[in-house]
Amino acid sequence: MSEKSLHLRLGIFTSLFALFLVLFAIPTFVFAPSNVGNIILSPLFWPYVLAGLTGVIGLGLLASAFKPGANVPFEDEEGTAHPERAAPWLRLAALGVIMVLVMFGLPRLGMVWTAMLAFAACAFLFRTRHPIVALVCAVIVPLLLYAFFAHVAGVAIPQGNFVRLP
Amino acid sequence: MSLMDSLAAGLSLVGNVEAFFMLFCGLVIGVIGGAIPGLSATMAVALTLPFTFSMAPINGILLLLGVYKGGIFGGSIPAILIKTPGTPASSATILDGHPMAERGEAGRALGMALYASCTADAVSNLSLILFAGWLASFALNFGPPEFFALILFSLTIIAGVSGESLLRGALSALAGLLLATVGLDLVYGTNRFTFGDPNMMGGLNFIAVLIGLFAIPEIIAMAWNPVAHLGRTRALGKSKCTLADYLGSFKSIIRGSMIGVFLGSIPGIGAAPSAFLSYSEARRTSKNKANFGKGEIEGVAASEAGNNGVAGATLIPLLALGVPGDVITAIIIGAFMVHGLQPGPMMFILNVDIIYGLFIGLIVSSVFLLLVGSVAIRGFKFVADVPKRILMPGVLVLCIYGVYAVNNNIFDVGVMFVMGWVGYIMMRNRIPAAPFLIAFILGPLLEDNFRQSMLMSGSDPLILFRGPITWFFWLLTAITVFAITRSTLRKRVPLS
Repeated sequence: MSEKSLHLRLGIFTSLFALFLVLFAIPTFVFAPSNVGNIILSPLFWPYVLAGLTGVIGLGLLASAFKPGANVPFEDEEGTAHPERAAPWLRLAALGVIMVLVMFGLPRLGMVWTAMLAFAACAFLFRTRHPIVALVCAVIVPLLLYAFFAHVAGVAIPQGNFVRLP
Repeated sequence: MSLMDSLAAGLSLVGNVEAFFMLFCGLVIGVIGGAIPGLSATMAVALTLPFTFSMAPINGILLLLGVYKGGIFGGSIPAILIKTPGTPASSATILDGHPMAERGEAGRALGMALYASCTADAVSNLSLILFAGWLASFALNFGPPEFFALILFSLTIIAGVSGESLLRGALSALAGLLLATVGLDLVYGTNRFTFGDPNMMGGLNFIAVLIGLFAIPEIIAMAWNPVAHLGRTRALGKSKCTLADYLGSFKSIIRGSMIGVFLGSIPGIGAAPSAFLSYSEARRTSKNKANFGKGEIEGVAASEAGNNGVAGATLIPLLALGVPGDVITAIIIGAFMVHGLQPGPMMFILNVDIIYGLFIGLIVSSVFLLLVGSVAIRGFKFVADVPKRILMPGVLVLCIYGVYAVNNNIFDVGVMFVMGWVGYIMMRNRIPAAPFLIAFILGPLLEDNFRQSMLMSGSDPLILFRGPITWFFWLLTAITVFAITRSTLRKRVPLS
């Protein structure tokens, strides 16, 4: 990837995002009392200023994409074609699914059991060369953290609906 | 309160085994965290933060400061042994450290890195003690317009030194400022981007955002390429750093320490530019100029002095003005806030015992760093052997527990995951995360002080230029913008 393609992509995205903020997000999701006389003191003022600056940066990125010499690829860039082809994308998707399942599991299974499953799933997703150690750590690390946070720090760690820990 | 009273109050806080034990533990955690490539001092501080919630404020902050200082030194170990900087600040150490390791002089290079780090750390701590109180007493005269000008200056400099592209750094800072607007309006209490969710009315949790930005992207990057971290470790060799080596590089160490103190005390610059400036100054003035880059021990000394000289100095703006000096001190602000402390000039009046307790702890930290660093150099083999593909799932679990513990709220865990993906996308698109986080912290302060100024003046913007202090910060901002623009334009010349 070169600076040109990166800045072109970022510039288009940033400019569109600024437009989205100005035309839709700020009028819809920022509320201002009707009796604010001066725009500078309105809750809308700061978001509009930031949205405007975002638009300026977006245009700046677009302009810099066309500067001379911007087409040179980054020196430390990984090759665009990953040697494993689709596997990295599948691992990213799997990690995303693990995170969603963690959010789903925390109130139902409790933090300790969810963390154990997440640890083990991630270790195998990362293709660990030490599966036994990974499984042992998957059990011990969440239990140790539970012991610290629940019994030393006094945090009410979610216990879930099934197995409750002391 | 006299100086002796303040010292006595500070000593009464830290004059116990627990405080020094926490400092020592912090240094050990920091050196290990800094020594593991991909973990970094920043992530080590962020992951340690949740453990401080249940501690006394002084113990928690000393623990984090220990992690910070240990992490900066720890980063030099893999830089020398495996040519991979543990922290960005150690990048300059590679230039001469790794060639020395290839010659079988890794032990000598690491020894020099340790001695230079400890010396610079002591110089930096002394400067903190000398200047922070003076700056804080000066800052007591600040009102909202002065703070607005100061924070604007801080933001300008952060955007300007945030990596290889000014525009991408500015984009990152703007994203942070935008995210900071989420929550109830500071003056009228109306909703801004809360989507009707009560969890968002108080704004997004700072710790969830910072852990999401700095720890989770590394885990996601591990999913993308699980074998990226594998490398070859060099042996320590038999040669050691001698007193003659140390004295021969002493001038560069002191110069590097001063550069670190100067750059560290300016918000936003951080350790990496300081290390490179110190290195280039040492090369420019050295008798062994030709050996730099080929394994010159003075180069290791200069770069390590440059990056460690920053560690104490970044606390000057943090303690005196309430403005973080770099991304790690931005995280440490979180610890102050969690314990109900607000860094800034008033802290020197309301919590003088904590301030002096920190000073005492910091002086001791330089001695502890020498002890911990000596052991860490020999123990690096074991640290390097920790399987990253087991470490990273452990980091994920630690993040979940730590972020939940802040507010006992599962919503914060979700914020952390979302910010993790945002951080990863930023990483893939070469957008630096540090300006985002610092702008996220400074954003509400900037807006709050701006609106207070407008309320004070009846919306007259001239209040933002009301006296010499505001003129000074506006002038600094103008100089910085000019310097950044000039360097950006100069960079373009060779390309065209």
